[in-house]
Amino acid sequence: MPFLMPALAINIVIILIPALLTIAMAFVEWDGVSIPTFVGLDNFYTIFGDPVFFWALLNNIKWTLIFLTIPIAIGLVAGSLLLLVRRGRTFFQTVYFLPVIIATVVIARIWQGMIYNPESGLVGWLKLYGLVLSDPLALPPSALYAVASVDLWHWWGFLAVVFFAALRQVDVTQIDAAMLDGANYLQLMRYVLLPAIRPTIILMMIMTVIWSFLVFDFVYVLTQGGPAYSSEVLSTLSYRYAFYDFKIGPAAAVALVVSFFGLIATVFYVRIQQREDD
Amino acid sequence: MLLSKGPQSMFAASFGAVTAALTLAMQSLAMADGPITLWYQRGGNPEQQRILQKDLVAPFNAAHPTTPLILDVRSGSNGDKQIRMAVISGKGPDIVMTPGPSTTLALVQAGHLLPLDDYIKKYNLDKRILAPVLKTGEYKGHNYALPRTFETMVLYYNKTLFDKNGWTPPKSIAELNALAEAMQARNITPFSVGNADWRAANEWHVSVVLNHYAGPENIYKALKGEIPWTDPVFVQAIDLLKNWYQKGWFGKNYFSLTSDQEALLLAKGEAGMAPNGTFSFDNMVAAFKQTGQELGVAALPSLRDGVPYPTYAIGTGSTMSINKHSADPDSAGAFLDYLYSDAFYDLISADWPGDWNLPLTSIDEAKLAKNVSPLFAATVTSFSKAVAQGNFGYTTWTFWPPATEDYLIHGIEQVWLGQISTDDYLNKMQETFAKEMSDGKVPPLAAR
Repeated sequence: MPFLMPALAINIVIILIPALLTIAMAFVEWDGVSIPTFVGLDNFYTIFGDPVFFWALLNNIKWTLIFLTIPIAIGLVAGSLLLLVRRGRTFFQTVYFLPVIIATVVIARIWQGMIYNPESGLVGWLKLYGLVLSDPLALPPSALYAVASVDLWHWWGFLAVVFFAALRQVDVTQIDAAMLDGANYLQLMRYVLLPAIRPTIILMMIMTVIWSFLVFDFVYVLTQGGPAYSSEVLSTLSYRYAFYDFKIGPAAAVALVVSFFGLIATVFYVRIQQREDD
Repeated sequence: MLLSKGPQSMFAASFGAVTAALTLAMQSLAMADGPITLWYQRGGNPEQQRILQKDLVAPFNAAHPTTPLILDVRSGSNGDKQIRMAVISGKGPDIVMTPGPSTTLALVQAGHLLPLDDYIKKYNLDKRILAPVLKTGEYKGHNYALPRTFETMVLYYNKTLFDKNGWTPPKSIAELNALAEAMQARNITPFSVGNADWRAANEWHVSVVLNHYAGPENIYKALKGEIPWTDPVFVQAIDLLKNWYQKGWFGKNYFSLTSDQEALLLAKGEAGMAPNGTFSFDNMVAAFKQTGQELGVAALPSLRDGVPYPTYAIGTGSTMSINKHSADPDSAGAFLDYLYSDAFYDLISADWPGDWNLPLTSIDEAKLAKNVSPLFAATVTSFSKAVAQGNFGYTTWTFWPPATEDYLIHGIEQVWLGQISTDDYLNKMQETFAKEMSDGKVPPLAAR
């Protein structure tokens, strides 16, 4: 019991107390400096009455759908290739993982200044050759997808490495047997590899849902939610409420909405785990 | 449990004794003469930090060896939030630097900043700082914040390009329209502007049309709540800004250009003019040095008959206050005395004029021109004179309350992109403003 004390203390101070405070802050009116006043559900009425809240929520949902499909698919293919191809495995694993460890601000600035930029980036260079593209970060219809592309580039290597680690646990004899039976790559994936690492895939999908509702850094650095709120997500909205409008109440209310979606995902995951244990 | 065992209780007791002794020692250290701290909130590259050490810190420390200044340069993007957090938790630096009056107001209302009236009187700061700018730090009859960066919107232009085509800086809207048309005919972008690295640049342009079309008198009335932001004069002002964007005066890449790129486009002659702040002076000079063309600066044109030329909108880009929890406010006061001295201004205007433009009454073109380019000296002197004569306007980042300012910045993008109408934009602005006004969040207003 005494051995649990330090970890428990850290959990209480760093996680539980701030979480409870955030829940409390969602029900007060406070500018972060003066004394808070209780206002009941007013903050929720405020955010539900703000059209930007719904655009942000929709963007988070779009982001979740993008990240539940593309990086997981690429990660699975890359992970399985790392398994099947022995030569160069370490090299490719490192290369795939490198974007994950570079600081997000650095990545964002590189994409903003050296790739998307119409004056100094790849887009600008193509203009010299007659291929006129616009900066996708600057157009409302494409801004969110442009930011998502940057995060995809940064993220899929992580999934590749995780799936590769899971695939290495698969019984080699099963793979050999399948190949002896004449299975091609797709059949191998479908009948042997993917079912074998199903728990890992499900875990990554649940975590993706949670992380997609938390997404902040790339959006904030690249577009700050713009132009015209087209790439706004719930966390940048919460950040603006708190640090630009100085309205902590609505900021905490938005944070609770984000946590709510995370909670749903977690409940799903626990349910699936319980079903597997039966 | 721990204390019952022999050696452990000895350990605990001696540990306690040492801690107590250290705490007492540190407390007595704090009471003695000690350093005062300033967290510089706007960030700085290594060269700029070197300038701060040389011009701001070293001379003050030489004169006050027992209470030296410790300068801590915080990152530009969230230095202000760090300072705010520290101050409201009862700690933070002795000298509080904020990005402007609307941030300072919240701290003042919650009682975290010291009234500066005694220091102002002691050091005659009211005679040394321009009165209308000094007033922006007043709240309920006391002064809590001294303005540090005295800035305004001006019109930068490519003088080489203008001379080649026989153009002169526009003074009226008719001249501006003719000029822009002539430029577009030659495939030159009229205004080199962008917001990729500072989204709030949007409010510079809103400030320009509000001050130079609607006019300072109307802004004053609206900020006092006497007329709404939906008044026709404001509708026409925003419509004008919308037209500029949609006619292509801002070019095609407004959302992608960084400040370096905007300056370079102007310096290359691919754009003709750039409405920007005096804070960007250094940036412009650096770009023009690269291309070898000549920079020109003029006052923004009057966009409507009835708005005088030249009008300069006052901006207080940052303020200096004293933390209520400061252990040594008198030394902090002495630092403020140095900050607003001619001695300091002489040093800093030679090294870093754009950002450190202090609103001193003693600004004199001849004296300034010794240190800075004649162009900058002329601009700054013209601005100071206009303000001293009462010919000034109001920038949105100094005089608007926070949520209204935030909406102003993001909402105008929706207007430019045709997603909402000017009426919708101003309705929402009025709604947000009215609520903040009733909550007492509108910053202090320089009377006319």
